[in-house]
Amino acid sequence: MTTCVACVGNSLRGDDAAALAVMELLQGTVPDGVRVLGCEGEPVSLLDSWEGCDTAILVDATQSGAEPGTVRRIDVNETRLPDELTRSSTHVLGVGEAIELARALGRLPGRTIVYGIEGSRFDTGAPLTAEVSAAAEQVAAAIRRELEQADA
Amino acid sequence: MSSTTPRTKTIRTDYLARVEGEGGMLVKMRDGVVTDVQLRIYEPPRFFEGFLRGRDFREAPDVTARICGICPVAYQMSSCLAMESLAGVEVDGQLRALRRLLYCGEWIESHTLHVFMLHAPDFLGVASAVELAAIDPGLVETALRLKKIGNEVMRVVGGREVHPINVRVSGWYKAPTLAQLEALVPDLEWALEASREAVRIVAGLEFPELEQDYEFAALSDGDEYPIDRGSHVVTSSGGGFPISEFLDHVVEHHVEHSNALHATLDGGAYLVGPMARYALHRRLLSPAARAAADEVGLEPVVRNPFRSIVVRAVELVHACEEALRLIAAYEQPAEPALEVGPRAGTGHGASEAPRGVLYHRYRLDDAGAILDAKIVPPTSQNQRSIEDDLHAFVSAHAELPEEELRLRCEQAIRNYDPCISCATHFLTLEVERT
Repeated sequence: MTTCVACVGNSLRGDDAAALAVMELLQGTVPDGVRVLGCEGEPVSLLDSWEGCDTAILVDATQSGAEPGTVRRIDVNETRLPDELTRSSTHVLGVGEAIELARALGRLPGRTIVYGIEGSRFDTGAPLTAEVSAAAEQVAAAIRRELEQADA
Repeated sequence: MSSTTPRTKTIRTDYLARVEGEGGMLVKMRDGVVTDVQLRIYEPPRFFEGFLRGRDFREAPDVTARICGICPVAYQMSSCLAMESLAGVEVDGQLRALRRLLYCGEWIESHTLHVFMLHAPDFLGVASAVELAAIDPGLVETALRLKKIGNEVMRVVGGREVHPINVRVSGWYKAPTLAQLEALVPDLEWALEASREAVRIVAGLEFPELEQDYEFAALSDGDEYPIDRGSHVVTSSGGGFPISEFLDHVVEHHVEHSNALHATLDGGAYLVGPMARYALHRRLLSPAARAAADEVGLEPVVRNPFRSIVVRAVELVHACEEALRLIAAYEQPAEPALEVGPRAGTGHGASEAPRGVLYHRYRLDDAGAILDAKIVPPTSQNQRSIEDDLHAFVSAHAELPEEELRLRCEQAIRNYDPCISCATHFLTLEVERT
């Protein structure tokens, strides 16, 4: 079984780097054969990142108005990403569209989970906020548990 | 969203999809006559020119690349060229060929994104690329592969597909090997065929009627179709000037309804981008691109903005064939960059972003620090023409049902592949009938 963890974010835009923090926490701590990678959310790269995978876990920052640091886990094989989590992409096609495109084209892995971490500051050059740093630890731990369960 | 009062009718879209950035539009009508059209750009100003001040001249390519995730190469090239013109250095030979190749990668990914994913849905009656994938998965698979190939060219030459990291003033940090570039050839050959087919597909679409008497403007780069550089701007009315005189002819001004500056050329509206390049430089297209245009009967000058999708597809053919030509002639340069040091003065640079001419000007002190910067992106230059198109289209089709009129107006804006983040800069559409 092949698993990919795709962490989507921009290291230069404050809490948008939430997933990249998760990526750093996961490096070296995941079962062999699990690919952990960072990307900026470019849709073709995302579709490529989970090519051939049975399981894909995506991590992204969200900006929905929820409490900063709120963690959401969504099984996108079961449901679409809620609109409020997809509308703030800086690109014309975001993570939500990439998932729906993959679904329409039959290229969505059998198990696809999205973790969203609610951010509060997205200023250029800003560091991660404390709430988001703590949420990143929480998400990394949750992903490790998912991976172990899948491995068992 | 529609609202009706006894005297005023309003059609509006609060959020125009499938464009880059945030903006809106308002069309006012009285007794069926259009009285005002405003392309409103409300994305907040980004102040790039302000925070370039005080930075080292060598930082400009990486800083300005961040203006756009779709066309970072354009920003990198125009800024490099400006700095090099100031230093009296010309990047030529294989170092320049690599720039053109990187730029072809950007044209491939950007034109593919727009033609298939953003603009084609308008013609095919679907709301998005996702819906398009449901009705024509093969087309979307083709688009994804084409875009991936453009991205791959950018990754191999530029080090990364978004915001490349290998570009520097006077050349590169590391020149790719011939073997690395040759590895791109099979995919580019596939892309060339796929883009020829794309021309046939989009030429068969149904186009709303609209003919506009545009003043076209594009760079001129000798006997090459302008992409990565240009010494002059040339226009369809026969005008031309060196890019060092760009700001003598192109004047930007604030308008109340937009956070992007509006530009005029010698006092009037003008058009930059694929239709302008094609009208002015059709003879310089690659053989396959010219043949593709001929095969579908594309007229030498296209004046129906809805047909820009065909021109863009023709340019896609050109970019693929040009990339193959550049790779076939490639020899890895001995040094990845020329020597360049700081020099006080003013430098100008311009290149053909996928959406049109992108001009940069910088003034430096003798230590090479940027004293001031001026950037004129293509979408700012096209804003007046977009408004003129809307005015003409709504005037001619005032009788259309509101929903259809709204959709056609959105389509008319997307004809320009507007990059509002670049201009400054998203879209809400509002038609007010009195």
